[in-house]
Amino acid sequence: MSYGLNVYKADGSLGFSTLDIVWMQIDQFTVAANASVSNTYPEVSGMTVIAQVQMINDPPESQEAYAPEVIVSGTTVSVAPYTSKTSEQVIIMVLAQD
Amino acid sequence: MSYGFSAINTSGQVIISDEMESLHFLGKATLNSNDGGGHANYGASGRIIFTYTITTSATPLVFIKPSDYSRWHAIMTQSVSGSTWTFDVIVSGTSSSNPPELFCFVNANSTSGTTSTHGLVVWKSDGTTRTFDSRYSPLVITGGGSLAPASCPSDDGCPTTTSGHPWNYSTLDHDFGSDNQYNSQAISGTYTDLMFSAPSLAQGVYKRQAEGYKCSDKPWPQSGCQEHWSTAMWWMMYRNAFRIRSGYFDAGWATYSSGYSFSSTFESGGWFGGGGGGYSTGSMPYTAKTINYTSNAYMIADSTRYG
Repeated sequence: MSYGLNVYKADGSLGFSTLDIVWMQIDQFTVAANASVSNTYPEVSGMTVIAQVQMINDPPESQEAYAPEVIVSGTTVSVAPYTSKTSEQVIIMVLAQD
Repeated sequence: MSYGFSAINTSGQVIISDEMESLHFLGKATLNSNDGGGHANYGASGRIIFTYTITTSATPLVFIKPSDYSRWHAIMTQSVSGSTWTFDVIVSGTSSSNPPELFCFVNANSTSGTTSTHGLVVWKSDGTTRTFDSRYSPLVITGGGSLAPASCPSDDGCPTTTSGHPWNYSTLDHDFGSDNQYNSQAISGTYTDLMFSAPSLAQGVYKRQAEGYKCSDKPWPQSGCQEHWSTAMWWMMYRNAFRIRSGYFDAGWATYSSGYSFSSTFESGGWFGGGGGGYSTGSMPYTAKTINYTSNAYMIADSTRYG
């Protein structure tokens, strides 16, 4: 490349380059069953933000196990049970890409 | 900024920052066991659940690297005890051979152990928290997006309940296979090198129910009709699962559990005094529907960059 940053490993091979595409980990948090959480991350203003949702600690398999609704709006990630539904415990992984 | 470090690419995107943490390769989770597989019933290919563990004080972001790219994969759930994380991975088909590999990534500050003296390390302004450390193979994403599976998992369409069958009718006429029900997004790269991070959220239960009936003449001196009813019901539970194939990432389904029940009853007043009986292999978890049907974020990465 004509400009940018390459970082090499000890063996001389390329380990990382600014030509690569990365997602930054902004936050990770656990949302308890039936709980609501809303977090704002001003540092990611203008970035693309995604929130990955993962069930945690063995949700029930013999009944309806609802994940909460997760809404990403700008720099705010909101998690809450769907209307008239209970929700299971989940992990939220918030990632951002410039 | 007045101080610190940012690496910005030609599109103006921040690639390395002293304020935001990059994800780095922690290691591969250890395969501990599988449940033996099962539920290859009613036209479905069945599934097997592999269990993995890895130890870290951070919450890992996990990528699945299939060994057999024709099978559907997903992390069904994860749990933590102390600093040991356990992952249950569902894979379509019942074979315990070719289990997938799980590549785990954590924030830079949760990595340790390298003795390498080459590379680039970036700290936050506190001087102690690493946000980037090239010695631990930073996570590089080659693709991603948001994708939901097809709304109805069954290849034959959503099964129905029908009546008017002969009494004691118990012949299944529905294919519960789900390999052809998926939504796709285009991806690039040599697909047999790729791995994905995509939790399984959507799940569904569907049933095929056939209701039988007959009316037999009551013996003399009685008159009229003695009614007989029967119900045969096959059900399948599915979990959202994913597949990488040449040029595409698919969100589809894998079988999770299945069952069958049969019951028959007849009214009193005929040859017999009324009654009935039944047979069941497991209970349907809930009434037929798909739940958690939403697009979940997924990411694709090249596994060959990591140990």
